[in-house]
This record gives sequence, C-alpha cells and structure tokens, in this order.
Amino acid sequence: MDSRIITVIAAVIGIPIILVGYLLVTERLISILPRKVQPRVRPYFWIFPAVAFATVFMVLPTINTILLSFQDRKSQAFVGLANYQYFFTNPDTLGALKNSVLWLVFFTGGVVIGGLLIAVLFDRVRYESLAKLAVFLPLPISAVAASIIWKFMFEYQPEGAVQTGTLNAIIGVVGVGPIAWLVESATNNPALIFVGIWTSMGFAMVIISSSLKAISTELLEAARLDGASELQVLRTIIVPLLLPTLTVISTTMVITALKVFDIVYVLTAGAYDTDVIASQMFTQLTGAGHYGRASAVGVILLLAVIPLLVINVRRFRREEAMR
Amino acid sequence: MTGLAHEDATVDVTRRSRSDQLSVRIFRTFRRLPVHLTIVVIMAIWLIPTFGLFVNSFRAIEDMSNAGWWTALFPPSDLTLQSYEQVLNTEGVASGFVNSLIITIPATVIQIVIATMAGYAFAWMRFPGRDFFFIVIVLLLVVPIQMTLVPVLRGFAATGLAGSFLAVWLAHVGYGLPFQTYLFRNAMSSLPSEVFESAEVDGANHVQKFWRIGLPMIVPAVAAITIFVFLGIWNDLLVALTYMGSSPNRPLTVVVTQLLTSFGGGWQFLTAAAVLQMALPLAVFLGLQRYFQRGISAGAVKG
Amino acid sequence: MERNWSRGSRALTLGVASILIAAACGGGTATTAPSVAPASPGGGSASPGASAGGPVGGELTLWTAWGGKELETFQKVLDPFKTETGVEVKITTVRDAAQLAINVEAGTTLPDVAGAPTADKIPDWSQKGVMKALEDYLTDFAGYTDETLPGLVNGGTEIGVVDGKHYMMFVKTQIKNLLWYNAKVFTGTPPKTWDEVLAVQPPSGAKLFCAGIESGADSGWPATDNIEGILMRQSGDQIYNDWWAGKAKWSSPEVKLAFQTYGQIVSEANVYGGPNSVLTTAFQRAGKQLFASPPGCVLYDQATFIPNFFLEDYPNLKPVDDFNFIEPPSFNSQYDGLQEFFFDNFVMYNDTPQSRALMNYLWTADAQQIFVDAGGTLAANKNITQFPDPVFQHASEVVKAASKLLVDGSDNMPAEMRTAFYKGILNFIKDQSQLDSILADLDEIQASAYAQ
Repeated sequence: MDSRIITVIAAVIGIPIILVGYLLVTERLISILPRKVQPRVRPYFWIFPAVAFATVFMVLPTINTILLSFQDRKSQAFVGLANYQYFFTNPDTLGALKNSVLWLVFFTGGVVIGGLLIAVLFDRVRYESLAKLAVFLPLPISAVAASIIWKFMFEYQPEGAVQTGTLNAIIGVVGVGPIAWLVESATNNPALIFVGIWTSMGFAMVIISSSLKAISTELLEAARLDGASELQVLRTIIVPLLLPTLTVISTTMVITALKVFDIVYVLTAGAYDTDVIASQMFTQLTGAGHYGRASAVGVILLLAVIPLLVINVRRFRREEAMR
Repeated sequence: MTGLAHEDATVDVTRRSRSDQLSVRIFRTFRRLPVHLTIVVIMAIWLIPTFGLFVNSFRAIEDMSNAGWWTALFPPSDLTLQSYEQVLNTEGVASGFVNSLIITIPATVIQIVIATMAGYAFAWMRFPGRDFFFIVIVLLLVVPIQMTLVPVLRGFAATGLAGSFLAVWLAHVGYGLPFQTYLFRNAMSSLPSEVFESAEVDGANHVQKFWRIGLPMIVPAVAAITIFVFLGIWNDLLVALTYMGSSPNRPLTVVVTQLLTSFGGGWQFLTAAAVLQMALPLAVFLGLQRYFQRGISAGAVKG
Repeated sequence: MERNWSRGSRALTLGVASILIAAACGGGTATTAPSVAPASPGGGSASPGASAGGPVGGELTLWTAWGGKELETFQKVLDPFKTETGVEVKITTVRDAAQLAINVEAGTTLPDVAGAPTADKIPDWSQKGVMKALEDYLTDFAGYTDETLPGLVNGGTEIGVVDGKHYMMFVKTQIKNLLWYNAKVFTGTPPKTWDEVLAVQPPSGAKLFCAGIESGADSGWPATDNIEGILMRQSGDQIYNDWWAGKAKWSSPEVKLAFQTYGQIVSEANVYGGPNSVLTTAFQRAGKQLFASPPGCVLYDQATFIPNFFLEDYPNLKPVDDFNFIEPPSFNSQYDGLQEFFFDNFVMYNDTPQSRALMNYLWTADAQQIFVDAGGTLAANKNITQFPDPVFQHASEVVKAASKLLVDGSDNMPAEMRTAFYKGILNFIKDQSQLDSILADLDEIQASAYAQ
C-alpha cells in the first residue's frame, strides 16, 4: 500500500501542476518571441500534447504492428504473408471473421434500429425520462459485470430440474424445454450480440432522442393530419431528417462491433464458435505468444475499418466547408 | 391547405370530446395499451437482469445453484451478506477497487485538459497543417486499440514501466485523446464566432478566450465527456489486462475477470464482486445523468 | 496582468521542475524491485530438513493459481515459516499461466516464487537464467530428492530437469481419474475393468455418470484429464508420452479410441443432464448429483481434490460412509499401474534470502503435513503417512502401488495446443459425430505449435 500512497500524492500534486504549468510555461516561452511570430507558434504548443500522445500511442505502434505482421512469432525473421495466409486458412480464425461480420451487421443494426424505434416510442408517453433512464442504465456497467449479469440470465439446468436461469425459467412457464443458450449454435452468437445491444442501446437512444426532439412538431402533426400512418411518418420524415445522426451512431457502433472483446471473453471465452476477431488477437498475443499473427489480426481489423475512415474524413471535409 | 384541414380537425375533436369524454378517454388509453405494454416490457428487459444480479448478491451460494433469484423475493427469503464478506476478504478485491480509483481519476483529468486545449486550438486558431493534423486525429478514431498492443507493451517493458500506474495513465490518455479532441473541437467550433470576436476587440488573447469564454460555454459538453471518459476507464478491461495483467496495481475489472477463471464455474462467488465493480459508476452516473444527457444533446445534435 | 503572470509562472516553473524530478525518482511506478543477485551466499545457516532457519525478515512476492480454500490452506502452511523467519509473503492469485510468460517475454518484473511454466518453455527459461536451479539454493538437495516421490516421466527424462539441473520443486500432489461414488447409493463390489464399470446399473431415474467441465476460459480441462487417463491405461505410456510431446498424431487410432471411450461417459444415454449439462456445469458442482435425493448419477470421474467441493454443497458428508472412490478401471492389464499425477510445484525466479528460506521450508515433511492435514490433497514428500481420512489413505496407497507416475499431458503442451485441445473437447462433447474433423484440426495445430 505504501508505494501507492506515494503515487497518489505525486498524482494529486503533480498532475495539475504539470498541466497548468505546461500552459503557463509555454505561454512564457511564446512571449519571448517577437510579436509577429507568436500567433503562428502558439497553436502548435496547444495541440502538441494531444498530437504527441496520439503519435506515441497510436500512430507509431500502428506502423510497428503493420511491420510485425510480416514477421514471425518472436519478430525475429520476415515471413512475408505467412501470417495472413494462416488467418485466412485456419478454421478458427475464419470462424472468428464470420462472427465479427455477424456482430457488424446485427449489433449495429440492432442498436441503431432499436434505438430509433425506442426513441420514437418513448417520445409518446409522459413517463419518458423514466423509461429512457431504464434503458440507459446498463451504460455505466462494465462488460465484465454485464457478462456476469447475463450469465445468470442464461443459466441452464437439465430438463426436469428446477431452472435457475431467468430466461429458461420464463420459457419454462409456457412449457418450452430449457435451452443451453451459450452452447447451442443457434442461440450462442445471437445471445452474445444481444448482450452487446443491451449495453449499448441506451447510448444510441439518447442521441437519437435528442435529435428527434429537434424535429419540428408542426411538420409531424401536419403529416399525420394528412392521413399518414405512423410508419409512413417514420419512414418519410423522421428517418431522412435523422440520417446524419444515424450515420454517426452507425459508424461508432461498427467500430464497437469490431472491437468487441470483453463480452465474448468473459461469457464464452470464444468457445462453440463464438470467437470474434478482437479476442482472437488477444489469444494469439497472450496464449500462443505469436506476435506476428497477433499483429496480422490487428492489421485486418484496421483494413476492415478503412471504409469508415473514408466516411469520417469526408464528413469532416464537408463540415469544414460549411464553416 | 394544411391549415384548413387542421382547423376542421380541431373542430371535430372538440365536438367529440364534448359529447362522450369518459368513453373517449378509456378508448384512447385502451388504444394506447399496446404502446404502454411494449414500453413496460422494454423497461423490464433492461432492468430485470441487473436487478437479478443484485438480488443474487444477497443470497447464499448454495441457494443460488438451487433456485433462481426471483425465489428470494418471496418468503422464505434467506438473504445474507455472505457473498460480500467473502469477496471483500478475497485477495485483491479491495485492493482492486482502490487501484481502479487511482487509475481512473488521473487518466481522466489529464485527457480532458489536453483535449480541451487541443480542441480549442483546432477550432479557433489558424495555422498551417491544422487540417492535416486534424484529419490524422479523425483517422485515429477508427484505429482499433489492438493495433497498438504489442508495440506499446514492449515499449513499456523496455522503459521499465510495465505494470505501473504511470503506464496505464499514459496508455488511456493516448488512446482516448483522439476521440476527446474530436468531440471538444466540435463543441468549440459550434460556439458562435461573434462571442470570440467581440472579446478580441476587447484585447483578449487566445489564453483568455479559451479560459474565460470557450471553456465556460461548453461546460455541459465537458461534464458529459468527463463522465463518459471516467466510466470508460473505470470499466476498461483490455488495456489494464494487457499492460497490468498480474501487477498488484491491477484494477477491479481485471481482478474480477481473473477470479472468474480462478473459481471456474463458481460464478456465484462473483455476484458481490460484480456489484462492487458496478456500484461506483452507477452512482456517479445516476447522480450526474442529467448533465450527461444535456451534454450529449448539446454536442450530439450537431451530428 | 502580464506582470503577475510572470512572477507566478516563475514559481510554477520551479514547482513543476521539482515535482517532475521527485516523481521520476520516487512515485509513479509501484512495482517491486527488479530481480537482483543475492546479497549474501544465503541459506548457509539453515538447518537441513527443518524450518527456514532463523530470522530473515524482508519481503517475498509469490504467485499461485490457488484461491479460496486452497489458498487458506497455503496460508496455514506459511504461518510457521512466517513466524520463524519474519518474512512477509505477498501472494497474488494468478490463475492465468500465460501472465508469467508475458512478463518473461517482456522482460518485466517477475515474482520471487511462482509455479513453473509448461514443459516446452522450461529449456528456454532455464537457459535465460530466469529460473533458478534447486541444486544452487537448496541446502539439502540430497535430502530433497530422497524424500520426494520419484520424479515423473517426460519422454525419458525427468520433468523440470535441464542439463541435469532441477528447476521445479514439488510440494503437493493429486491423482486423477478416480471414480467417486456415493457409498449409500452404490453398494456393490467396485468394478475393476472398464467393461464392468459400464455394466453398473444406475438406480431408476439416474444416469451412470456425472460430468462437468465448465471452468471459464479454461473450460474443458477436466475432460482432458479423463481422456489422458484412458489413453495411458488403454494404450500404454509410450504412445501417451509421444502424443503430448507432439510426436504422435491426434488422429492416430489409440488417441481416437481414447476420445471415443470418453465419449461413452458424456453421451446422452450415460451422463446426467446430457451433453448440454456437461458443458454448462462447473466441475466443482457436477458431483452434487451423487448426493442429491434422488441421486442423478452413480459415478463421477475426478481427481483427489474433489471432496473439498462435495463438502461445499453437502457439509455433512463423511469419507467412506458417504463418499469413496473406485480405483481407475483397467483397460489392458499390461498398463494397469500407470497413473496420471498432478504436482503442485514452485520455481524460484529471483534468488533472494527470502525466497531461499521459503523454498528450503516448503519441501519438508513439516510443511507438507499441514497441506495434508487440511484435507483434499496428497503430499510430494514420501515421509507423510498420516492422512486425515481413510479415503486419502487409500489414495496414497494407489500412488505407492503405481508402476509409473505420468505427468498431465495437456498441462505440458504448448499453450496453443492446449487451448485447441480444450476447445476441441468442448466441440466433441457437443457433437460426438464431429470427432474426425476435430482430430484433423488438432493435427494441423500440432504441426505448427511444437515447432518453436
């Protein structure tokens, strides 16, 4: 405990001083320079910490990882595309790839569509904020805790025995046999994806909800009075107007889907064909200790997100043009 | 055209409500029943699982493997603090909680400060390379952390930092900054330029504009993002597991995950641990969720 | 404004500088000191065989996979040591064996004492000097080898031995593949051969076997023990050792037969709750059904440590009266004496006076008697003859009667192979018809996993 107290004291005193001190010290340095040069130099000082951290922790390692992906287990020799070949021929990694695609499609779709429907639905009742709070509640729960929560929901006891898992108890009431949710191929991936949706839906819902409220009510009322059904209103007015918001959420959720690790690792450890790319990488890194393959998985993840990269940059350019 | 139809409809409604108020109300509620029902079911799906865990954490271990948690709601319900006692005595749990605090708070503070500064600079300062650097940041938004695990781990090992708090602080800051910078830059640039211009006329320099105008005006966004970052780091598993795996400094998420493997099928032992891990962020969240919602609305409507 | 700032900023600059210097020197990192060469040629004053030999003081970091009850027992074992030497033992429960490997790879701080890595890593680590040799730090090495049960066979060489030097110190043991039963339910004569076992008639409503292999990220390991036990007694130690060392294929007929035989245990017809139940039940809880009323099964194939878990669910069970075991059944009388053994071991990673003191204490009969008295284990020291209950007495006799003690094969496979083995077993239990393709996949992994 002792060394941690020193750490805490150093942190409590040191960090604010370092941060504020940085600003003041750099201002000091800048004021030494001639007036004209000052405004040219200052921005670089201000963005320097952010850019430096990003470079050290993201840019350089990414480049390094790309290089490592062409090397062998202990990064001692170049092996060309061998690691990628392994990835695309090994049944386990291919299975993980397939599952990641499933997550991509169903997790993203579930969160976005679900978030939209729920936001629209909740909009209509007076106890809206209470309802939103309920859906929002899993957000601060870690994936580890969420997995434990759902472990109890998915619990399985043999047929005829008392069911201890909530889901099996519920379906037992209507006479349906117990299902081993996390084992059966038909249910295990959907179960995991559902846990993912359960944790992330609140986030999407809140953002969509606030965008929804920004739509003028007159517009909606007018459409309804014109005889449009709720579904038509949704399809022709709400969705088009919310498209930018939905796009942002979708791209965020796609990234989340590709990075999903905790839920799979804790609930099934990737067994019964539920493994995903991100957890494959972790296994290669810490289990097999194969740096080359682990890096290759990382690069493949990166390639998978390049379309999003393009979308993001385009959007940024468009926004900049409007300023 | 729409206006006329609107008028007619209003007249219609008034005529109806005058003649049969009660039946209309019942009818309306009845029609809305599916809506209410759906909403209640949705709320149940989102509340019951967590509630189930919570109830289980107060049950004895043998009970948990014999009957579901809902049985404890009716008598005889043997509720006990056994799990909590056991878990607090378990090696590493109390320590993990403290470590989580030590990891989360500084990492959050550092990130927010650096990101607000950089966000302001990208939004309101003009300099060559501004777009270039910002595009790099935008690109980094999608780079998965996994791309950096191996080199950073080796880097920490080489500099002797592996397993230390400093390593995890730096890592979290490094990983979080692109997203935070992006958000703060958006928040800052959504502020009206007139406010800054009139301050310039009054002789304010950038530091003052940032400190006295920019920051105060985006307080909801700062609050929301801070909460978000805090939660993210508190709940992080991957970064801590990779860089701090067996260090005595490891946070609660890692401790609980390792207990899972250590107890194997003994999930029941971990109900209390999970509740402990969830307690702080839930409390923070519930207490501050208004700011969080406001902040998201403020920043997010921009898309 | 400017003037105030310049004075303030000067003070702050000084403050920043001093904090940075202080933080760099003292705080920030909270890990213990890096591995260091021993200060003195320690341990010379230790009396052979007895306790750690006088006050030493200081600290020691130790990693172990033990948690819960096992850890409590270990603490009891350490108590006399702590009192005598004054050493503070800091224990971290680390179930994930990969962690130690990561630290070694990354060159970061290692614990002073911890378990050994898998067999494939031992030559490499001993070469790097990461592990310290018993010959170097044990004050009575001869006594140790004399008193400890004969070493395990590792394809011809003892395990944990490189270039004639020993690196692993054995402290407690378990034997596996015992068929546990409820003495009040199964009252007939214990079957001796596998066919006799299969012929046992369970009471109506019950199945012949219970099984449970769930164990978080390590799910499947109990099944590997069963398969290994079957393989060695069915086809002999030669093929067994070749197989886990990567020299015999997974698809070879003997290995396939072992899988199929195991499949008889976990088939829908023979196992309580069917395969799904096996996959979702934790190994600690699977034995519950032996003592349930009505019982769900008759036999549970597990190691000597399982009674600990029986008692968790049914605290009033008594050995012999309530629970007992049938010795591992025979497949081929030629291979009857082969036993699968499990050793708990420690390796010294940092040579310090404290770790020397501890290692010199742990192998002694005094230390190990405490393990044994707590129940649920056998000792590595052969001078222990007092066991808390007749069941363990019986188990120790099985050990003495064994012709050869064989190491747990899956524990000594390369990590990649072992993980694939676990996952393969899970898939096999889920769908036994997939056996051929599962074995073929394992062959592929075998081809690359051992080539390090």
